[in-house]
Amino acid sequence: MKEFNWSKYSKPLILVAFVVILSILRPKAFLSLNNFSNVLWSVSVIGIMVCGTIFVFLIGGIDLSIATLCAFTAVVVVEITHLLGDTPVAVCVGVVAALAVGALAGAVHGLIITTFHIPAFLVTFATQSIFLGLAMVLTNNKIVSCTVPAFTAIGAMKILGFPLPVYFMLVMAVISWFILRKTVYGRYVYAVGGNSMASAISGIHVKGVSIGCYVLSGLTTALGGIVLASMTQQASSSTGSGYTNDVITAGVIGGVSLLGGEGTVPGAIFGAVLMGLLNNGLNLMSVPSTHAGLVKGLVIIVAVAFDAMQHADQSKKKARKVKKRGESV
Amino acid sequence: MKRLSQTAMRRLISIGMLLVLVALFTILAGFGQGKFFSSANLIEVVRDASVPAIIGVGVTFVIITSGIDLSTGSAMALVGMTMANIYEYTLLPFKVMVLIGILVGLACGLFNGIVIAKLHVPEFIGTLATMSIYRALTYIIAIKDANGVIKSQPMTHSQYVWLGTGVGKFYYVIMAMIVIVLIGQIVLKYTRYGTNLYSVGASRKAATLSGINVEMTQLIAYVITGFTVAVGAVFTTARLQSATTAIGTDFEFNPIAAAVVGGVALSGGSGDVIGTTIGALFMATLENGVRKLDMNTSYQYVIKGIIIIAVVIFDATYKARMDKKAKEQGAKEGLE
Repeated sequence: MKEFNWSKYSKPLILVAFVVILSILRPKAFLSLNNFSNVLWSVSVIGIMVCGTIFVFLIGGIDLSIATLCAFTAVVVVEITHLLGDTPVAVCVGVVAALAVGALAGAVHGLIITTFHIPAFLVTFATQSIFLGLAMVLTNNKIVSCTVPAFTAIGAMKILGFPLPVYFMLVMAVISWFILRKTVYGRYVYAVGGNSMASAISGIHVKGVSIGCYVLSGLTTALGGIVLASMTQQASSSTGSGYTNDVITAGVIGGVSLLGGEGTVPGAIFGAVLMGLLNNGLNLMSVPSTHAGLVKGLVIIVAVAFDAMQHADQSKKKARKVKKRGESV
Repeated sequence: MKRLSQTAMRRLISIGMLLVLVALFTILAGFGQGKFFSSANLIEVVRDASVPAIIGVGVTFVIITSGIDLSTGSAMALVGMTMANIYEYTLLPFKVMVLIGILVGLACGLFNGIVIAKLHVPEFIGTLATMSIYRALTYIIAIKDANGVIKSQPMTHSQYVWLGTGVGKFYYVIMAMIVIVLIGQIVLKYTRYGTNLYSVGASRKAATLSGINVEMTQLIAYVITGFTVAVGAVFTTARLQSATTAIGTDFEFNPIAAAVVGGVALSGGSGDVIGTTIGALFMATLENGVRKLDMNTSYQYVIKGIIIIAVVIFDATYKARMDKKAKEQGAKEGLE
């Protein structure tokens, strides 16, 4: 008899259970079209970022600077737009500059981490402080607002009823899924994450592959920063605070292993959707944001522990099967 | 000439880095009354380093098992707020209040240990989760004024105020640090449990095969961290003479950074408590020195980040050279 494979369906089931619970508890507020697009909004920023940071997780790295790099790039795009006279062209230049800053930051991370073999944890912990300082320098430690129509359109324009950031998220997801699944580079990323020594011996340029991962992470963080600034029509050194934890959590809930080598883009997007729903649900239940951490933390522990237990179960089963086969032979 | 052992060299390097930093700030931020290099300010630095060093003892144990604890800052706030509640709403004596605070710290550590050792949640994500749980609990039990707004709770119990002082300038918190660090170092180097910590960190599989109870070793390390967190929280609230919900915000990276600067490898299996203490002194010197530069806070963040990166790069290059040397030495001896 074929056993029902729980692990395959557990994630969609968690999501469905969540939606059902919220629809029962807050039917009017939760099931409205307006709320639906609210959820998509908050999901999309986490989703955009996790599409790039998943590369860093896959090679066994981590990025603690997500939130402050997000703030720094948001400040860059807004300041440049103001500097060049608030025209649509200025917005374009600002966006390109912010993306360049993100990519550059990623490249610096990658270079330092791979050249000196320093844990990513430490390097990004230090740069987190640097980005925060730079964002404060650029804004003079104030909130800079930006209501240029061409800029606010990035976050607010709707196509076919969905806000633009949702499309950004989908495009980013498809791109990073494609890179990971269909290109040689993607294979290399998994190989380096699985065992970097073995990959180096089999001829993979581990350093180049790793730096590429950090650049991709920087790029999507910058895109997230731009979208966030556009949605809130402002930027400051506290833009995106809390996103480091949300993005890492989204990845881990989606089955990405922080030890590297394990995880998929659809999984990470699932994690982002769950985090977005969780944020939205807690909001609708009027749980104050200071108390929401209790629920969020417990959900993370339960989800990850559930996953870990299944992993352990499966490997036990596998071992038993192998043993049986050995005996019958 | 007798060669120094690698660990002794490592210790000298961290002390050297600390001295270089002190010299650097003495040049940049000046010496004399009210400046960086004055007896009053240097004692202040040691006092600032004490709480991270105390909590660093537990964190070092955890990192040696190749774990990490990101929840120390939030757990500190929870311990502080629990004691504030007892102070405000009950007539329990001071000693009982502190005892309950310590018990809360132990409970936080035990919960971390269960999540990580028994439920097998990865350390980073598990303690990230408990970090938000403890912070939320702190807000939930926070003391509110008549309008329901959270207020900072002053705690001016005479014995509590006493705890924040010392014998002259020799603060009690510094004494507590010295005692706890010494006990930590002895446990680590001269007990069965300390050896087990290193084995678990070096190779979990090998440790299991040689009969060490890996789960229990890990769990106890987290409980010990909970205890040190509680001690840290008692001294922090005694110094502030109040408890707020913001205590320990962004604190969690402090003891970790101290451990790493002091030569504890995040990959586990190496390092010791004395190293972490030197690291804590280094971080406190950095904080204090940058503040004494009389610069805009925004530049302080940038400089702090750059110095940490510089130190870590220096450390990594040095370690790579030593490894290479050791290999060459080994090859030579092999040839002979």
